[in-house]
Amino acid sequence: MTVEATKYVDLGRSAGSAATALRRALIHVAIFVTIITVWEYASHVGHLNPLILPAPSNVAQAMYELYFVTGTIYRHFFVTMYEAVAGFFIGGVIGLSLAVGAALNQTFRRYIAPYAVVFNVTPAIAVTPIIIAWFGFGWSSKIALAALIVFFPVFVNTLSGFLRVNPDAEEMFRSLGASKMRTFFKLMVPDAAPIIMAGFKVGMTGALIGAIVAEFAAASEGIGFLMQRFSFHLDISSSIAVLLSMSIMGLILFTLMEALDATLIFWKRDSRLPAISQKRARRFRKQMTALAAQ
Amino acid sequence: MAAVLKSEARAAVDAAARPNVLEGERVTKRFSETVVALEDATFSVPEGSFVSLVGPSGCGKSTLLRMVAGLIPMTSGTLAVRGEEVKAPRTDVGMMFQKATLLDWRTAVENVLLPTELAGRTTDADRKRAIELLHLVGLEDFEFAFPRQLSGGMQQRVSLARLLQTGADILLLDEPFGALDEFTRERMNIELLRIVDGIGATVLFVTHNIAEAIFLADQVMVMTPRPGRLAKVVDVPFARPREIDLITTAEFNEIVAEVRGILGGH
Repeated sequence: MTVEATKYVDLGRSAGSAATALRRALIHVAIFVTIITVWEYASHVGHLNPLILPAPSNVAQAMYELYFVTGTIYRHFFVTMYEAVAGFFIGGVIGLSLAVGAALNQTFRRYIAPYAVVFNVTPAIAVTPIIIAWFGFGWSSKIALAALIVFFPVFVNTLSGFLRVNPDAEEMFRSLGASKMRTFFKLMVPDAAPIIMAGFKVGMTGALIGAIVAEFAAASEGIGFLMQRFSFHLDISSSIAVLLSMSIMGLILFTLMEALDATLIFWKRDSRLPAISQKRARRFRKQMTALAAQ
Repeated sequence: MAAVLKSEARAAVDAAARPNVLEGERVTKRFSETVVALEDATFSVPEGSFVSLVGPSGCGKSTLLRMVAGLIPMTSGTLAVRGEEVKAPRTDVGMMFQKATLLDWRTAVENVLLPTELAGRTTDADRKRAIELLHLVGLEDFEFAFPRQLSGGMQQRVSLARLLQTGADILLLDEPFGALDEFTRERMNIELLRIVDGIGATVLFVTHNIAEAIFLADQVMVMTPRPGRLAKVVDVPFARPREIDLITTAEFNEIVAEVRGILGGH
């Protein structure tokens, strides 16, 4: 079983002066513009077959039509987003509950372990036809596959998070005569939270994959269905436009998870500590004066 | 501050008149047939005294401390705190570890309040006391800092305040400043003496530093390894409060030599 590393690295971002930041931004733009220009130029001079790889301007045109002329994208976009998020919650809750049970009860852990291993080595996507047979062509089969994919990273990370709680802190809690219940909520949950959160983040990406793959298999709506319809018609421009929409959806979900992570696991981010420290100080003083006034 | 301090200073109490708060007889801990962590340790600790446990790794000093704390069971022998057999952690016995083991998601004062929260409801008096204790250990202006914003020495100060918040008057300290640099450790030791003198606590202090053991203690329990044994209890007669200059005196170094001699024979 693997655990997602819980190091907090800001991808591609690093400290520096405003001038450095501006210079880097300009380089990013320059690289992007160069790639697009070369691609566009290659299309126009006939190096690229427009049926295989359309020009960026064609993709932009398709994108414009999807969003602002026909508006086809929106319904499909939100159907898929709904499926992914619903699957995320269902798979997340099941994975979290089973992992808590396995963490607290050794017997349960022992007997669930082999199933967890088999579950892990079986490619979840391969279950798609069976899921469609069980749940039909509607939303429920997409939600089910999304939930299935979310389940495992959440389960594994939650379980290993709880099993790897700082033993020194556990001893300290024991020396203070802490009850099992209080040890669970005041030590185990917050101590395991960063690893659990990492599991949920992996799960969110998985949920989107699950929903889209199930749409590929059998669907009448959703962004995966839309993509398939365009590619069957060899409308590659529109297909790429839909693909970009998938990226946008992934980015929205990922950003939401990052924000949640930064809020919940604030103590891993040094930059957030001073502000929260001040907030806690105000709360503490308020409690003191409220109690003193009684 | 006055609420924190007990009026009775240790120096004023006659050693002979003090009852033993801790008594061990033939205390033995075996981890397996061949691994004997501690064998036949017999000792007593009078109320309000400061006792150092010194010895190399594997002499059973940490094991002994954990048994007194009620964290691990003995194999044989008897061990009593205030006349009662130790079976589980007690509220009048508190322990401090080499690592500060603070909870990263809690501010300093919230960490100090942890023992209170684990025992039941937190009152206004508890909050006031937590703040006072943080001031006592020298952390004015850092009451609401998170552990990651504090240095190693400051984290240990929070850990000490948390220990005092338990209200325990038998303090078990397992190399509490072992991870700190020499200068910080020296300063922390002097402050520790000032604080425990102030509250009249009984202290068991584990260390592998001979000079530190003697400087702090009324009695030094010298322990030797394989199997872990209590070789000898050495009395340290110096008056309190003690100043750091003490360690350069001839009398002090005589005791250092004596302890070194006991340890060197093994």
